[in-house]
Amino acid sequence: MTDIILQSHSLRKEFGALVAVDDVDMSIRQNTLHSIIGPNGAGKTTFFNLLSGKYKPTGGRVMFKGQDITDMPFHRRAHMGIGRSFQITNIFPNLTILENVRLAAQAVSPQAFNFWGTVVHHKDLIDRAMHVLDIVGLAGDSLRLASVLPHGDKRKLELAILLAPDPDVLLLDEPTAGMASEQVPEIIGTIDNISKAHDKTVVMVEHNMSVVMGISDVITVMDQGRLLAEGTPSEIANNKTVQDVYLGRLYGDADELIGKDA
Amino acid sequence: MDNVQDVFQETPQDVFRPPPMWRVFLREHWLHLLIVAVLIVLPHAIGWITGDSPFGRVRGSRVIMAGESTYWQAIFIEMFSLAVLVMSYNLMFGFTGVISFGHALFFGIGGYAVGIVVQYWDVDPNLAFIAGVLLVIFITSILGLLIGLLSLRLRGIYFAIFTLAIAEMAWLYAGSWRLTRGEDGLTINRLPEWIDPERSRLMVYYIGLALFVTAFLVIRRLVRSPAGAVFQAIRENEDRAKAIGYNTLRYKLLSIVVASVLAGLAGILMGILNKSARPELLGVTYTVDALLITIIGGVGTLAGPVVGTAGLHLLELWVRDSSIILSLNLGLFEFTLNFSQDWILIIGVVFVVVVLVFPYGLVGTWYRLRARVGDWWERRRATT
Ligand SMILES: Nc1ncnc2c1ncn2[C@@H]1O[C@H](COP(=O)(O)OP(=O)(O)OP(=O)(O)O)[C@@H](O)[C@H]1O
Ligand SMILES: [Mg+2]
Repeated sequence: MTDIILQSHSLRKEFGALVAVDDVDMSIRQNTLHSIIGPNGAGKTTFFNLLSGKYKPTGGRVMFKGQDITDMPFHRRAHMGIGRSFQITNIFPNLTILENVRLAAQAVSPQAFNFWGTVVHHKDLIDRAMHVLDIVGLAGDSLRLASVLPHGDKRKLELAILLAPDPDVLLLDEPTAGMASEQVPEIIGTIDNISKAHDKTVVMVEHNMSVVMGISDVITVMDQGRLLAEGTPSEIANNKTVQDVYLGRLYGDADELIGKDA
Repeated sequence: MDNVQDVFQETPQDVFRPPPMWRVFLREHWLHLLIVAVLIVLPHAIGWITGDSPFGRVRGSRVIMAGESTYWQAIFIEMFSLAVLVMSYNLMFGFTGVISFGHALFFGIGGYAVGIVVQYWDVDPNLAFIAGVLLVIFITSILGLLIGLLSLRLRGIYFAIFTLAIAEMAWLYAGSWRLTRGEDGLTINRLPEWIDPERSRLMVYYIGLALFVTAFLVIRRLVRSPAGAVFQAIRENEDRAKAIGYNTLRYKLLSIVVASVLAGLAGILMGILNKSARPELLGVTYTVDALLITIIGGVGTLAGPVVGTAGLHLLELWVRDSSIILSLNLGLFEFTLNFSQDWILIIGVVFVVVVLVFPYGLVGTWYRLRARVGDWWERRRATT
């Protein structure tokens, strides 16, 4: 029980008549890479929005490190150690790459509301930003505007923004969305490295099956707002319901996919 | 863009062998110091060149404000007031991304509140004036806070329309109340001598200059601070700023309140200069001016509002005064352009041309060009 860091109890979100998240119980164990898969509209992003506090649930609770955070506002959860990225690239376009990351580090520092100091005098924040830019491989470009980066690098920048405040849990919503396939292994490698070498818990929504099968410790399958199955990659691949409802329908032969990665 | 500059200045060489303080200061501020020095000397320089005293002309037992120097002092006082209004608007709109169509509300409150206190409160004029200024600071900060709180509920264009409605309401009331002397406006003729532009205009000029410099420094300090960096994050992407852990409302309130107080102070200066507070001070024209000048100068740059105000104001003055008449005869129809009569048209054309040629405003486009040339230079140096 103690190593469960993030947990949902009968978490529910209704949009009018539509039940986007339908009484979901999910436990995320510390320092695991936990993937959530499911067809379009399964409620994965909505579930993330409930965990990160962007939406208020219509029922159920969210627990983080044993504390009930269901009613905690969006911006407070970042201070608790939950970082989240978005399905659609979400950065500060007309600021430099360094500034994008530095702002994220500043948010949880005592300097956040300092309006009489000077930004460049707070070297610790700049160093922190450069350190995480180094992890994702963008340190060399730090003074360029974020808007000029190619799409793949923007997603890396988002990872850096997420890492800057040193969160315990990272919620990644389709980190490879829109990336050229040859860029995918690199960013997945980075995510894998973050979760293993930097001791982070990573919860990731991902459509790319070979990616999910390759690096996940646990996979949860969602469909129509509900949990369909949960288990290790091989358990999921061999799960009959999952094969029928999801893997078979969308991705053809699942075994072949696993074979490719194993 | 400013941030890029700052980070460049913190390269390792600088850290290991810091140049002397005064050189760092001069390198960063030589242009600021030069401009302030010129503005300090200006009334005297004009007086010296034209032979008109900067203190006005002696007419019998009185001194009247006549002659070139005092004429230009009045023009610059108006420019200081407008520049502070535009800078304050830019803090909100350009740096924080909060769009208001009712910023003139605070400008008008500045003129009216000081006017009302000075005219109706029967005490020593010095006391009344100081009390008026304090009252303006108080009202504008409270009102700024309240209106800012509504930005929580109203976003973007809805907030802008709401602020417009409030300012227009104030404009209507100011034009019909007895207290504010209706559409005629409130004459302000009980100012203490030292701030009366008909008796000591040079003093008003220097007070205006001090306000202008102070407003510039306060805004500069603010936008370069850690909190000011968050303003720009909010402008770029408010949801992301929330997601990384900022309570964005706090920062927006800070920006809106400082902008409101500065606009109020600018309004006081305008009221003093006109020796009256009229409903126009609250009207949408001043807000639109602030918006357009911000765009011409460079949205979200420190120098943009100053360059824009000076440029547009001096241009308007020149066009209205000029005797240029262009006529074009195309046989079928004849087209005449009289600069002094059609000055609005001329200014409009200049505005359109500036926006087309300088898409990021005068200062903004200049920064981008400079950054690009710097980039190119770096790459050239790296390859050779
Ligand atoms: N803000 C909203 N208002 C109304 N309906 C919504 C809202 N957000 C999501 N939905 C609906 O909730 C359902 C779940 O959406 P969600 O975005 O969570 O799915 P998803 O699993 O992330 O899908 P995808 O793989 O396409 O990203 C969908 O039917 C969607 O239309
Ligand atoms: Mg989604």
